Amino acid sequence: MKVKMISRNPDNYVRETKLEHHKMARNYDPALHPLEGPREYVRALNATKLDRVFAKPFVCNLSGHRDGVSCFGKHPKQLSQLATGAYDGEVRIWDLANRTSSRHFVAHDGFVRGVAYAPDGKLIYTVGDDKTIKVWKADAPDVGEEEEPVNTILSRYGLHGISHNRKGNSFATCGEVCAVWDEKHNDPIKTLKWGVDTLHTISYNPVETDILACCASDRSIILYDQREAQPLRKIVLTMKSNKLSWNPMEAFNFTVANEDCNLYTFDTRKLQTPLKVHFDHVSAVTDVDYSPTGKEFVSASYDKTVRIYNAHHSHSRDIYHTKRMQHVVCVAWSLDNRYVFSGSDEMNVRMWKANASEKLGVIRPRERVNFNYQEALKQKYAAHPQIKRIARHRQVPRHVMNAQRKMRLVKDKEQVKEANVRKHSKKGKVPYVSEKKKHVIKEEV
Amino acid sequence: MSDDEETYDSRAHQRLLQAIGSLGKGQHIQKSTRDERQSRQDEFQLVKSVPVTEAEHGPRSVGLNDLVQILRTSTKHSQTGKKLKNVQSTRKLLQKPLEKPQADRIKRTIGYEGVTKKLGRWDAVVAQQRSAETQIFPLPSETIYVNTKANVRRLNTSLKSNLAMELQKTDLKLRELRKAQIGDTTDEKALAEQESQLLAKKLTKDELFARRKELAYLKMRESQKSAKARMQNKIKSKKYHKLQKRQKIIEQMKEFELLQKTNPEAALEKLNALEKSRVQERASLRHKNTGTWAKNLQVRAKYDKEVRKDLAEQLAVSRELTQKKEESESEEETRNPAAEDEDEDYDPFNPWTKGKAAENGEEANGDDEDPNWRKYWTERNENEKLLEQHRMDMDEDKDEDEVKEESQDSEEGDEKEIVLPSKPKQAKKTTKKAKVLLQNGWQVEKVKPEKVKTKKEKGNVQTKSIEDIFDEQNDVLRAKLTKKLDKLKKQVNQLKKTPVKGKKANKKDALKNLQDLTFKKKKQVEIDEPLNYEADEESPKNVPEVQESSVPESVETPSTDTIDPNKVATIVWKQKKTNSNGINDVLIDDEGADYEEDDVAADRQLTISQAFEDDDIVADFNRDKTKDSELKNTEIQLALPGWGSWAGAGISKEVMERRNKRLLLKLAAPEKRRDENKDNLYLNENGSKQAREHLVSSVPFPFRSLADYEASIRAPIGRTFVPETAFRMLTRPAVITRKGQVINPMDESELVKPDRRLRHVVDRRIKRLPKVPSKIKKT
Repeated sequence: MKVKMISRNPDNYVRETKLEHHKMARNYDPALHPLEGPREYVRALNATKLDRVFAKPFVCNLSGHRDGVSCFGKHPKQLSQLATGAYDGEVRIWDLANRTSSRHFVAHDGFVRGVAYAPDGKLIYTVGDDKTIKVWKADAPDVGEEEEPVNTILSRYGLHGISHNRKGNSFATCGEVCAVWDEKHNDPIKTLKWGVDTLHTISYNPVETDILACCASDRSIILYDQREAQPLRKIVLTMKSNKLSWNPMEAFNFTVANEDCNLYTFDTRKLQTPLKVHFDHVSAVTDVDYSPTGKEFVSASYDKTVRIYNAHHSHSRDIYHTKRMQHVVCVAWSLDNRYVFSGSDEMNVRMWKANASEKLGVIRPRERVNFNYQEALKQKYAAHPQIKRIARHRQVPRHVMNAQRKMRLVKDKEQVKEANVRKHSKKGKVPYVSEKKKHVIKEEV
Repeated sequence: MSDDEETYDSRAHQRLLQAIGSLGKGQHIQKSTRDERQSRQDEFQLVKSVPVTEAEHGPRSVGLNDLVQILRTSTKHSQTGKKLKNVQSTRKLLQKPLEKPQADRIKRTIGYEGVTKKLGRWDAVVAQQRSAETQIFPLPSETIYVNTKANVRRLNTSLKSNLAMELQKTDLKLRELRKAQIGDTTDEKALAEQESQLLAKKLTKDELFARRKELAYLKMRESQKSAKARMQNKIKSKKYHKLQKRQKIIEQMKEFELLQKTNPEAALEKLNALEKSRVQERASLRHKNTGTWAKNLQVRAKYDKEVRKDLAEQLAVSRELTQKKEESESEEETRNPAAEDEDEDYDPFNPWTKGKAAENGEEANGDDEDPNWRKYWTERNENEKLLEQHRMDMDEDKDEDEVKEESQDSEEGDEKEIVLPSKPKQAKKTTKKAKVLLQNGWQVEKVKPEKVKTKKEKGNVQTKSIEDIFDEQNDVLRAKLTKKLDKLKKQVNQLKKTPVKGKKANKKDALKNLQDLTFKKKKQVEIDEPLNYEADEESPKNVPEVQESSVPESVETPSTDTIDPNKVATIVWKQKKTNSNGINDVLIDDEGADYEEDDVAADRQLTISQAFEDDDIVADFNRDKTKDSELKNTEIQLALPGWGSWAGAGISKEVMERRNKRLLLKLAAPEKRRDENKDNLYLNENGSKQAREHLVSSVPFPFRSLADYEASIRAPIGRTFVPETAFRMLTRPAVITRKGQVINPMDESELVKPDRRLRHVVDRRIKRLPKVPSKIKKT
């Protein structure tokens, strides 16, 4: 009888251990490596190309909302939880690890305007068009229990946004006035008003937690201090600002998403001119959110794209878009600096990688070392034209490309005209105005 | 109407007017009372304050004056009344409050200023974060982790400190001593007595004082010395230490010289010790520029001239050290002839081969080489000329055989001489031999006396007996010479075989080998200095004679295969550059190179102009320029004779001519060269266009100068080119985040936190690197 046995040579599938490697001493004398420069250049080129090859930023689509998504709330402690509000008053809590909606309830009549978690992550605050603030438990109710708010506060004014203080138990809402609330009271502790119709958005400074900022319908940005009886300062831009986000690592910097396709980063102490104007969007920018490292931010726009900017650069690092994504309304950067969420008009929440070509999953030490090397190479040779070209190249939707072309045309035309006017007028009469100075109209005290 | 006028009642009218006048004075709205906390006040609840006029009509309220009046009545309260009056008279009215918008504006300004000040606190933290090499998120918190496992090693919980224990020990010791001296008595009186006795027995008071003083003085001196030593140890100045070391060496030398005079044996011992220390130093490789110190300096070298000087000095020292090593090697080689066989062409006087040896040893001492090899070649050429002349003489005599014989004779003579029992005479004979050689038309190359011979070597030589040395040397020489002789015979045979035309090609090689004979000179043993000097003095005397005779002829017949040393000078010694340390190269870059090769560059400049004294460089240069466009602007006839030239009726000459014209290919006029009007410029237009699109056109942002950028690009970062540690340091990412960890915004504790201890080894290494000053220079 013939007995068949599976036999395999372990050499074929067992990897050599460290001890089996014969260690080769290497001579690092540069005279022996005359082509080290070109070799590294080629490696950098390949790394850049690979980076583009592996740039697949889209992670998943979270569907479940029955109307457009209007706002996000990030859980301050858990990375796997995200709350979203929709135009039909529904709030959904997502389990991001499983990519499912773990819980949903109708919170308001009309739009949900804002969702915010309490800093301990146990309560959710929502505001809606029905002039109410509702407080919900972050944990799902037991089986058989109804979804009911822990507390409902009726506000005297309309509400457009909510932000919770990172420390302490106060939160602030905006609408007709900016109101500061205490978790324990049903009346606002303070209402701050500065002759403005509507304040759309409010944001607490995460570092200096007493400072707040609002964007108003009269194209202004207003700064508040929750301890003062009066607002602090107001600046008026050429167009309305839609959202405001503070830099979580640099207490004095914030960025606003503006209706004029640009984003502006301001230093709170020098409001006359923005630190940086961030271009590239071709339609109104609707939302902005900083990465938790404070180095980058993500912006959503009406032009159906999401862009990622370096906080100190004026042009975007990356652009995310899909065919089915409509006007992006809200955007959020996950607290572990890995993912970006976008909520759009067509009822979907999308999850993207913050770094388009980053490898997900376990990265072994050798891989890690290689990635680091590639990154260093890319940075070293970043100025070389071919590498720059490959790294910068992005496929954009046709409408975006057309709009970009049109905008460039308009801008060029204006520049030409200005130059002509300057040429034909008295010297010094038409001054050169820097781009930064064009957008802030006035600073009110 | 008149009736109405008649019925006019003045009193009623008066009353009416009064009623109208008092219309607004009444208070219809009651003051509100609140029972709940309210932040807002309703404007309707505000009640107008009662006007003064009303007081006359209604029940009069009590004024201050009334009180004073009442108080006056009693003497008891008159004082208080006065005070009240005073208060009333001296009171100041408060200013009218500002208009509300104005007041608000002031409040806002103050509030904003407070906030800006508060935000300003973060400037330092933010700046530090931004400039950090590596940022790790989440920001590490200062948490202390305590191992709470049951089996963990106990903390050292002794309540007594080490000092306390130490004190206790000494206390015990003291007590024991005392016990030994005094005994176990506890009676104090007895003790005191004993003590006084002891004291009296030992020393008087004055003595005691003197002694104590002395002790105190000694102690003070000691502490002073220790303090001084400590201070000196703390001094970080390299220069100081260097100077100190040098001083020490000088002192040692002096001592040694003294010893030499007084006690030679001790001097010898000392010499050995010195030699040993030198060897140790050499073995330690301290003087390479690879140490931490040198690396640190290299970073600074770009900006600091002094440092550069130091580095150069360091390199010079290392060069010196390794140079000696080479010499010893060559000595070794001469001692064992077997090794000599392997590289027959090895010529210790040939700087080319020497250069190669230096390369192998990773040591480029180009500065020294330059003059050496030039001299070598000039001498060599002269030799050749001499030889040619000699040969011409021979041709005239038509007996080539003699040459052979003579050469053989000379060789044999040499042999005989050397075979002789070695005695001090030998040195003289070698000098004679040199003369003989000269007669043959071969010039012996002059060898400089070894000035660098150190005393130690001499000392070593002295230790051996002279005879031993001679024996050794003789053996070596004999072996060498027999070999040489064989070779020479072969060569002469070859020379004989080859016709006169072919000679030229062979001549050079032959010469090379012939010149190897000059070995002998070097192998002279240095027995006595004056002898050596004699030999040196003699050879230059001989040289001019020969040269005089050679000069006129050589002008007439410039040999084709002589090597013009100056022409060779224009060859860039590339290897020399690349040989230097890579990192060093990067750091020092152009300026460093300038500094190092200052003299060399000047030298080179000179040689270029000298080299082409007779050549027309300009013409050559222009020829090069025009060469590219030579082919263009010409006409090429493409018509082949007979093709298409039909004969017969109907074929006109004109048509043929036209056709021929058509077939005349006229090449395009040459394109205008980009460097056409620039005489001193040659732009290479054949450069690869493919490469051009990979080149950076402008210096990118953080860099200010091209040199900086080039240096940064030139320095490799891959682990194939730099060691692993450097690789890790160079590729450390700027931002590190950990998977699955929430990154909280910056906390206020960050403001007061001390510098974090870096956990990662690489981070720590990076931090230890010397910082490069951000402001480089203004040009």
